[in-house]
Order: sequence, then structure tokens, then C-alpha cells
Amino acid sequence: MTVTARLSAPRRLSPLGPLALAASLAGLLALCLLLARSAAPVSGLPWLLGVLALLLVGAYGVRWVAGGEGRAAHVLPAAFTLLLGVLAAEALLRAYAVPPGLIPTPGLVLQSLWAARTVLLQDTLYTFGLEGLLGFLLGTVAGLLLALVVVRNRFLELGLLPYAALFSSIPIVALAPVIVKAVGLEWPSKTLVVAVTVLFPVVIGAVRGLQSAQPMHLDLMHTYAATPAQTFREVRIPTALPFVFNALKVGSTLALISAIVAEFFGTDGHGLGFRIQIEVGRFNLSVVWAAIVLSSIVGIAFFGLINLLERRFVVTGRAP
Amino acid sequence: MTAAAAPRRSPLLPMLAVAVMAVLLYLPLMVWANYGPAARSLASGADLGCPSALACATQLRNPVLPSPGQLAGGFQALSLPPTSPLSAPYNAVVTGGETLLGLALAVVVGLGLAVLLVASRSFERSTLPWLVASQTVPIVAIAPMLAVLLGQYGVQGFLPKAIIAAFIAFFPVAVGMSRGLRSPDALQLDLMHTYSASSGQTFRLLRFPASLPYLFTALKVAATAALVGSIVAEISTISFSGLGKMLAENSRASDTIALWVIMVYGAVLGVALVGLIGLIERVATPWKART
Repeated sequence: MTVTARLSAPRRLSPLGPLALAASLAGLLALCLLLARSAAPVSGLPWLLGVLALLLVGAYGVRWVAGGEGRAAHVLPAAFTLLLGVLAAEALLRAYAVPPGLIPTPGLVLQSLWAARTVLLQDTLYTFGLEGLLGFLLGTVAGLLLALVVVRNRFLELGLLPYAALFSSIPIVALAPVIVKAVGLEWPSKTLVVAVTVLFPVVIGAVRGLQSAQPMHLDLMHTYAATPAQTFREVRIPTALPFVFNALKVGSTLALISAIVAEFFGTDGHGLGFRIQIEVGRFNLSVVWAAIVLSSIVGIAFFGLINLLERRFVVTGRAP
Repeated sequence: MTAAAAPRRSPLLPMLAVAVMAVLLYLPLMVWANYGPAARSLASGADLGCPSALACATQLRNPVLPSPGQLAGGFQALSLPPTSPLSAPYNAVVTGGETLLGLALAVVVGLGLAVLLVASRSFERSTLPWLVASQTVPIVAIAPMLAVLLGQYGVQGFLPKAIIAAFIAFFPVAVGMSRGLRSPDALQLDLMHTYSASSGQTFRLLRFPASLPYLFTALKVAATAALVGSIVAEISTISFSGLGKMLAENSRASDTIALWVIMVYGAVLGVALVGLIGLIERVATPWKART
């Protein structure tokens, strides 16, 4: 790598880094506690300046943490950034006495996450397990089968693929009410919405992947007198996998989101989307945020799982 | 690539054949799906104005799947006259405008983030994980609250929808742009170095133009996402026009046919937005070879 390739030159480690980070975290925590004990102050401005100053100190500390090359330098900066951000938000929301019906403080969100844990976990299980995961699997399997058929048949490829691209640009919110009205209010309609949204990226990705095998590799298999099944297993599938996994990653984030959106258009009273809609109506925003936090955690975990599978099954290289 | 080696054929004939096949499959499915509700309402003594359940299957007021005739009627009712504030084309244009404004905002924010991500490694390490995580957040779920919040601080009308659309669209733009800003190879960067170009000049003359193709690829992905954002924002805020408002009204009124028509308009709008970005791409990056 040349000198110019990286814009920022590596810095020397300074002993002030950990001190700055600790001071910033402690300071923000102290501010939060102070604000929690006293009534809301008359003016928020001094608090704002204090929080900003502490954040600057904290940013310096985070820079220090991100300096090294080890595993800690990849994980810790993000964690500290989150911690600083949450504490700063808590302090500022308290200092300006923002009503919890407008923006609840992070502490309040955690409280209601704990208080409503059984209901929220049930909703998550319903939305993710029955609707998101099942729909994802359904869409993936259907998409892969469709891609196999399309790749083997040139007529279908010409006739069907343009529609797949077309359908994938239908906004989910416009599709969901139609499917919910047609299939019913129970969970199968949401599963179907998820399957449809996952289907098209998978079809497009898998077809592109199956067609991207290099002629040289195919010729080589030919000279080995490999059967078509062997060629398929040894060449086509390995080259297609990176493309398929890219599509699956897109699909994994889409799955939960489309399940939640679909629930906005009618449910039988379960699910995170239903919970969010109901609690927004009651201005019970801390529960709404708790539901959002929960669904993000599940979404990140699902995305991470797909990533893990990709690392396990895709041996070399990446999709361009 | 094997596909490129084969002689290029026009996709029109196969597309037409597939469309005809789809219609032929749809018709019996539609009659089958509507037969049950029709038979039930006939049995309950409702006067549907048709002799048998089979005949009624294409004329239900709230069909499970609408018949082609009903769809055509719905299109006519919702599309004419196209300038009326109640018509779907008018509302689609409103939603499209919000989405484009949102995309423009997303480009500004995304470019700023991309520059920071490329310039500072500690910024990248401390924020990129959360930028990625923000994509698994059901932003559409935040949209109602964001709308209330923005309304509280006096942001009303067009802007909240555009901001929510931008909130969804900024991430693909930021990631695509940062990849693009890094795309010039060492040789090109060294050349700029031998010209003793400042880092500002390198950015303006090399990095930025090199990132444009990445930007447009990202924008095409972002466009449909932003469209979803602005529609959801319309549903959850007080709005007087837009496809989202029509969706909310007709979903509440259980007007199935109207929902189908709006879905088609939404799809057309999505395709049109992606097409528009493709058009801008052609103008903005004329050096890119077309296939």
C-alpha cells in the first residue's frame, strides 16, 4: 500500500486517551444522576454546553481506543460511541425536560422493556418466528427453485426476469394491504408478504450467480468428462453462492421490516407492528421504542447469522 | 459469460407469453377465491343482483381477488380526471416529489458521511457498525413518531415525508459513496501526488468523479426504499395528498379494488423513479461505457 492510500496517518498512542474516555463517561453519568435527583432546571443551555464538552472529550478517548490494530480496536469504539450517545441523550432529554410523550429517555425505554418483557417477547416471537423467518425461508426456497428453472430455460429467462426486476420495485407498503385483504388478518398473510419481498432479490441474485461461472472453468470440467450434475455441483453452485448470500443479506433485513409494515394493515392482535401501532396511538412511546430496540436486536442477530453462514459456506472471494 | 455469448434476442415475445400465461392462471384462481364469499353471501340471503355464486364471483363489491373488468373500472374511476386532487396520478406525482426531495437530502447527508468515513478510520470504526445496525431498525416504525416530533417543532407539509425518506435512503448512499471514494487505485493517486495536487484537488478531480457510478448504483437501491419511507410517512402523518393517504383511506374503507389500483400506481412510480435516476446517470457520467 502506498503512502497516499490512507488519508489519515497513524497516530502515536497517548496516555491521555483512557483518561479522557473515563472522564467523559463518568461526567455524563454524573450529569444524568444529578438531573434525575433535582427537578428540571430552568434553562437547558449550560447543561447542553456541558454535555457537548464531555462528548468532545469522549470523542478524543474513542479515537484513542480506535487507534490500535487488534480485535479490541474493531469492537470497542462502536460500543463506547453507543454508550456515550445514550448517556448524552439521557442527560439532554432530562435537561430540556422533553415530555416522555414526545421522546422518552433511554432509561425510561429500558424500564418499559423490562416491565413489558413478556408481552414484547411474545410479539417478537410471533413477528419474527411465524412471519419473518417462515416467510424468509419460503421466499428463499421459492426464489432458488425459480432461479434454477429460469437458468435452464432461455425463453423463461427472457420472459420472466424483467418482471422480477419490475416486481422488486413495488413498494412493500403498497403490496401489503392487497395481500392482507386477500389472505386474511392472521399470520399467513404476513408470512406471504415477507416471502414475496424476499423472493425477487433472491431470484435476481441467484440467476446472476448461476450465470457467472467462467467459461474456462466450465471447459475444464468438460475436459474432465464431468457429468452436468458434477459441473453444477463443483462449479456453478460455488460461483453462485456469493451472489445468493448477498441477496439473502438484503432479504434478512427486509424480512422483519416487511412483517412489521404488513401488520400495520391488519392483524389478529399479535406482533410487534401491531404493538407499535397501538402504543403510538396511546402516546406510550417508551414501549414503542422498546419494541423497536427489540426488533433491531433480532434483526441484527439474523443478519449476523446469515453472515456467519456465508463465512462458513463461501470459501473464497466476494461478489463484485 | 454464457448469456453474452448467445445471440441477443428481443425479450418482448417471451415477456408477452409469460404475461398471457399469468392472466390465464389468474382467472381461475380469482373465480375460485371469490366463489366461497359469493356463495356465503348468497346463502345469507343478500341480493347481489346475479343468479349464481359462479356469476357473482366476478362482481363482488369486496372481492378477495378482483376480476380484470373490476380492475379496469377501478382504474377509470381513480385515474380520471388526472389533475383532480383525488385521482391516483395526481397523488403519485406528489409522493414522487417527496421521494425525490428525500433522495436529494440523502445524497447530501450520505456524501458528508462518506467523506468522514473515508477520511477518518476512528470515525469509521466507531460509527459504521451503528450505521449498518440502523438498517435493521424498522425505520418505518419510527416514522409515525418522527412525524409527530417534526410536527411539534413546526416542520410540516412536504418536508417531514422527505426527511423520513432521506432517513431510509442515506445509508446505501453513504456506503456506496465511501466505496466509490476509495475506488481510485494507487497508480491514479500517485499520479495526483506527482502533480503535487492538494488533497482537496485530489478529491475534486479524482475521488469524487470516480465515486459517481457508485453513487448512482446506490441511488437506484435507495429510490425504492425512499418511496416506501415517504408512503409510510404519509400514512402516519396528517396528509391531504399522496399515495400513502389514499392507501390509508382505502384500507380503512376496505376498498380492495382501489388498493390494487394504488399498488399498480406505486409500482409504476417505483419503476419511474429508478428510470429517472438512470437517465440522470447517463447525463452525469457520460464517460461510462454503455452496453
